[in-house]
Amino acid sequence: MIQLIAFYLFAVMVVGSAALTIFARNPVHSVLWLILAFFNAAGLMLLAGAEFIAMLLIIVYVGAVAVLFLFVVMMLDIDFAELRSGFARYAPLGVLLIVVLAAEMIFAVGAWSAGSLALSQRIAPTPDEIPNIQALGTLIYTRYLFIFEAAGLVLLVAMIGAIVLTHRARGGVRVQNVWQQNKRRPQDAVRNINQPVGQGVEL
Amino acid sequence: MREKPLVDLSQYLPILLFLGVALAISGAFVVLPMIVNRLTGTAKPNPDKLAEYECGFPAFEDSRAQFDVRFYLVAILFIVFDLEAAFLYPWAVSLGGIGLTGWASMMLFLVELGIGFAYAWKKGALDWE
Amino acid sequence: MTEWFQSLIGHGLGWFVATLILILMISLPLMLAVAMVIYGDRKIWAAMALRRGPNVVGPFGVLQSFADGLKVFLQEVIIPSAANKGLFLIAPIITFTVAQLAWAVIPFGKHMVLANINVGLLYILAISSIGVYGIIIAGWASNSKYPFYSAMRAAAQMVSYEVSIGFVLVTVVLWSGTFNLSGIVEAQRAHVFGIINGFGFNPLLFPMAVVFLISAMAETGRAPFDLTEAESELVAGYQTEYSSMVFALYWLGEYANVLLMCALNAVLFWGGWLPPIDWAPLYHIPGIVWLFIKVLAFFFVFSWVKATVPRYRYDQLMRLGWKIFLPLSLFWVFLVSGYLMITRYGV
Repeated sequence: MIQLIAFYLFAVMVVGSAALTIFARNPVHSVLWLILAFFNAAGLMLLAGAEFIAMLLIIVYVGAVAVLFLFVVMMLDIDFAELRSGFARYAPLGVLLIVVLAAEMIFAVGAWSAGSLALSQRIAPTPDEIPNIQALGTLIYTRYLFIFEAAGLVLLVAMIGAIVLTHRARGGVRVQNVWQQNKRRPQDAVRNINQPVGQGVEL
Repeated sequence: MREKPLVDLSQYLPILLFLGVALAISGAFVVLPMIVNRLTGTAKPNPDKLAEYECGFPAFEDSRAQFDVRFYLVAILFIVFDLEAAFLYPWAVSLGGIGLTGWASMMLFLVELGIGFAYAWKKGALDWE
Repeated sequence: MTEWFQSLIGHGLGWFVATLILILMISLPLMLAVAMVIYGDRKIWAAMALRRGPNVVGPFGVLQSFADGLKVFLQEVIIPSAANKGLFLIAPIITFTVAQLAWAVIPFGKHMVLANINVGLLYILAISSIGVYGIIIAGWASNSKYPFYSAMRAAAQMVSYEVSIGFVLVTVVLWSGTFNLSGIVEAQRAHVFGIINGFGFNPLLFPMAVVFLISAMAETGRAPFDLTEAESELVAGYQTEYSSMVFALYWLGEYANVLLMCALNAVLFWGGWLPPIDWAPLYHIPGIVWLFIKVLAFFFVFSWVKATVPRYRYDQLMRLGWKIFLPLSLFWVFLVSGYLMITRYGV
């Protein structure tokens, strides 16, 4: 009973906040609605029994990806009114995307009601006794090893790409070299002299 | 449908309830003072009081200015390393069961990321002048 | 307790009432603890600066925080005219809600935990990654320069240290083999020489305990990492435009987070509710007392550091996070897993 209530609560919230993400006038509000959507999606994952995925959804999407989105919409100061004026230009592409998405949804519902893709035909059955994070672990690093390593490569490319695109070395800054500062000893920098009266200091 | 749920959802229900309670408490702390200072008459707003803080003079410019792109780079690097950590979590709990293959595959993964890290270091992406 | 309530008023309702009481038993003492800890922080800080600290309200000034609380409660809530009103008020709610919510999975004793979930540690990570929004939203919604700068700084800082915290947690999980916090505490029983409880006493994990402690200070924005509210640069940081109880919510949230980090230090590395030595007579003292002693000890360390260490510069802060802690903790993941492969799993 409670599960059912929770499901409808989360589901309605996901759809609602997704709609508000699109319709919000202010881009920052859009991102915040998106975060709420992620949150409720995590709730749905939890109800489906995927507790690890649920936590990951919050850690990665809410904790990292959405922070980046917020940085972008807050910092880059994009003129969204101007962007919106290009609506007519992108409308055909938008319509195409709508058609593709609609087709995908029809196929998904069709396949689901056909019922041939039962969950019991999966390659690896879900183990009952161990937590699902452990069950995942036993598969990813052995059976799906190549995909896992490929994921590592994707991350590597992402990192290098981000650096190439956004990193600009600044000229004219003097960077602190902590190593050098720590290496420096008093005798390198300080000189004790016995200064006679009435004479200048020889530097 | 499975008869037995994958996780013990009864352990998560208190968290949902806690979320409600915590929201109620925090919300009360925000709303109650507003009501109280309506009643006690402490709420006396005036334009100067409601102006944004700017060391005693009116603000010159829009406060939401453009920001340095380095913050953006930090956020991207964070996503990459966060995902890497996400791959480490299931590995850490199942290390006993996956043996040397699992361990070696993760080490290879770490080397891949290590290359990226070394590149970032070398390029100065981790520097904050 | 749940059974007793269930026998009294039926299954579902009994569970509801019992859980609600349990939640309030965490939430309300937490707020009380925060009030006392703010007082303690000020006292410790004052003592280290050879001052008296609060000493007027109540005996030795112990009621100072309550007096302050009453004062801010009666003050005017100022919402700047340029602010986004809704978000401006939602931001402190997020901060304080999140600060409370993480306590749901902290084990206070052998079976004293509200939600004993499998992925407790990930839950804490998830919750603490939401904490940054309270600050970003506050900075943005204030529509004022200093809060905005501060929010950006805070976000970049929290995010940087979360990376190394993530890797440190992996080393702990490698050793304990579970993400369940009670399980992690149990794994520390008789960990070193079969008699000392706590991962921190293990020479291989001790460096990670130190990294975690320092990262915890950075994550909560405590001195010496309090650049987000560096008053000489940013007035009061993201809280600049806040007033009254709404301002105090940030204060409460910050200290609740500090306490949470102290509790996490105790639970992950120093045996949580276990006594330091695995010796039967020590178990007669309830586990919750041991946990409190450890939490208070860590809180003292936090105050001590705040009173003695000068504030970092922003580039130094980023350097410490990205160039020292990140490679160190990453290397430690390799080291610990390699050690375990050889000794425990016999490769």
